[in-house]
Amino acid sequence: MFIDTLLIGISSGAIYSLMALALVLVWRSTRVVNFAQSGQAVLSTYIGYEISVQTHNYWISLPLAILAGAILGSLVDLLFMRLLIGRAKSGPIAEIAPVIATLGLLGLIQSLIGLIWGNAFLHYASPLSGKGFTFGSHTIPFSPQNLFIVIASAAVLAIFGIVFKFTDLGLALRAASFQPEIAQLAGIRVSRVRNIGWSFAGAAGAVAGAAITPTSTLSPNSLDLLFVSGFIAAVIGGLDSLVGAVIGGLVLGIGFSFILQYIGGSVTFLVGFIILMVVLLIRPRGIFGHKVSRRA
Amino acid sequence: MHNRHLSPRKRALLSLGTGVALLAASGFIGELRNYQGAQVAVYLVAIASIILLTGYSGQISLGHGAIMALGGYGAALSFTLWNFPFEIALAFGVIVGTMGGFILGVAAARLSGPYLAGTTLALAVGLPSIADQFHVLGGEQGLNFDIGDPPHWVVRLEGNDFTQYKWFFWISTVVALIALWAITNLLHSSYGRNWRAGRNNAVAAGLAGINVARGKVLAFTVSSALASLAGALFALLLGLVTPTAFPLSLSFAIVTGAVLAGVGNLAGSIVGGVVLVAIPEISGALTTHLGDSQKVSANLPGLVMSALLILVVLFMPNGLRIRKFKRAKKTT
Repeated sequence: MFIDTLLIGISSGAIYSLMALALVLVWRSTRVVNFAQSGQAVLSTYIGYEISVQTHNYWISLPLAILAGAILGSLVDLLFMRLLIGRAKSGPIAEIAPVIATLGLLGLIQSLIGLIWGNAFLHYASPLSGKGFTFGSHTIPFSPQNLFIVIASAAVLAIFGIVFKFTDLGLALRAASFQPEIAQLAGIRVSRVRNIGWSFAGAAGAVAGAAITPTSTLSPNSLDLLFVSGFIAAVIGGLDSLVGAVIGGLVLGIGFSFILQYIGGSVTFLVGFIILMVVLLIRPRGIFGHKVSRRA
Repeated sequence: MHNRHLSPRKRALLSLGTGVALLAASGFIGELRNYQGAQVAVYLVAIASIILLTGYSGQISLGHGAIMALGGYGAALSFTLWNFPFEIALAFGVIVGTMGGFILGVAAARLSGPYLAGTTLALAVGLPSIADQFHVLGGEQGLNFDIGDPPHWVVRLEGNDFTQYKWFFWISTVVALIALWAITNLLHSSYGRNWRAGRNNAVAAGLAGINVARGKVLAFTVSSALASLAGALFALLLGLVTPTAFPLSLSFAIVTGAVLAGVGNLAGSIVGGVVLVAIPEISGALTTHLGDSQKVSANLPGLVMSALLILVVLFMPNGLRIRKFKRAKKTT
């Protein structure tokens, strides 16, 4: 039982990590918490769903959904965030403008999805079984799809890790988020690098959406709770640390899984809220955040 | 921010006059319009709570739907469990919501921007699950808050055709006007000035001897009192409270209303309230015009609302007020 709960926790934790990673990538590059992240992810998942309906092949739809997520992330930055940051610098809602605007974008994306695909629950089919592995007579809740979730998330994390650590692009991304002006002076095209950060984030969200959706159903709001979990995970990790986002996601996923198993499903988000409060009040920069508090 | 100063007595007279005019008007409009009028009044109070919080104290909350739920549940619980008369039940709901808001406000004063937004969002998602945990809160079925027919004195005063919706309209309008009047006075007092000072420049306000953190907690608490009042009225209009009556979209809707109203202007909450009720109505008419499609009717209101929200944030940060916007443009 303990191992079962742990495995399920790792699987959902992997998804939270991806979502947290998407939030952290955008936060690092633009200093905006992108509340539209779940909308972007769910739109990419719908695109994947549509492709899988046309081609009857999940493995074709998955990379295309990820590509769509990356393009979408880039477009949101180009068409929307640049305009917002240019316009809403001062005035009565300057401080909350990014929050409000990304919320508006979330609503816009979700209503558009509703207009195109309707609000009914859809099933994004995957060839992998949703039934748990069986050992002798014992069937555990951990299914091949769960295993795929873990593998896909690990692959994304590994790719991001390699890009950030060992490539020039990764160096540029880190420099642009650490000191934009100095990076600019050093010859890095900060706005272009920032755009790449947004498309990475969009891709990460798309992987999360396309991998998790076959285990449940697809609707315009189906990833909203995932966003909240991702946010909590990102804050636990420090909001500007990529490693922190991954560890925060896993900790939260395993924690939620044990609460679900031993207390009951309905209180998980209340516990999540309490964890969030405790982390923010005791250690506002998160477990892996930088020294300078980012509360302000 | 305040161009027109009315003296406190003039404000009181204005509120009173508006109230009498609205109550008189209720006899000349249909049932549906009375109900919608009551809805406008409820949204107005909820939007005013966000305007006070964001426009005057510089905090943000995406979880005021949860505070509204506290108010609604407090009112319905005292109504069903202890048979409180509905006036007292409303007040009890406000007490519950205010206490919850105080606790949240203590934490909120230490957070800002996206952190506060995300934390309150998590609360809005998490809080309704409490109703499932305690039997007394009625679980999925929720709690009854049906106040029944209008009392005898009103019927005697207004005649036998005085319906329940008219009664709802009266209650909501009177409560909303009193709340608006009280909040306007509060914002013109030293409390309101201190909040604005803390919002505009926390360091300078601190040097001037203002306790900014305490002001933020107080603003959050007062805002929660208003939100829970709106929640209690909301439950009264519905006749019951359930965990799903206060969804995330309600929290978003009132923030949208506040931004459309212009977060720095309390009087704008009227505009916000009307817009929140009018958009579903207008898009309903549009849908019928476009040939009743279920997809369109379910999503057009959200689309219009989100598009408006984005356009206002980008192009009219002072809200839907053409005149003010032009003036602001000249001075910059």
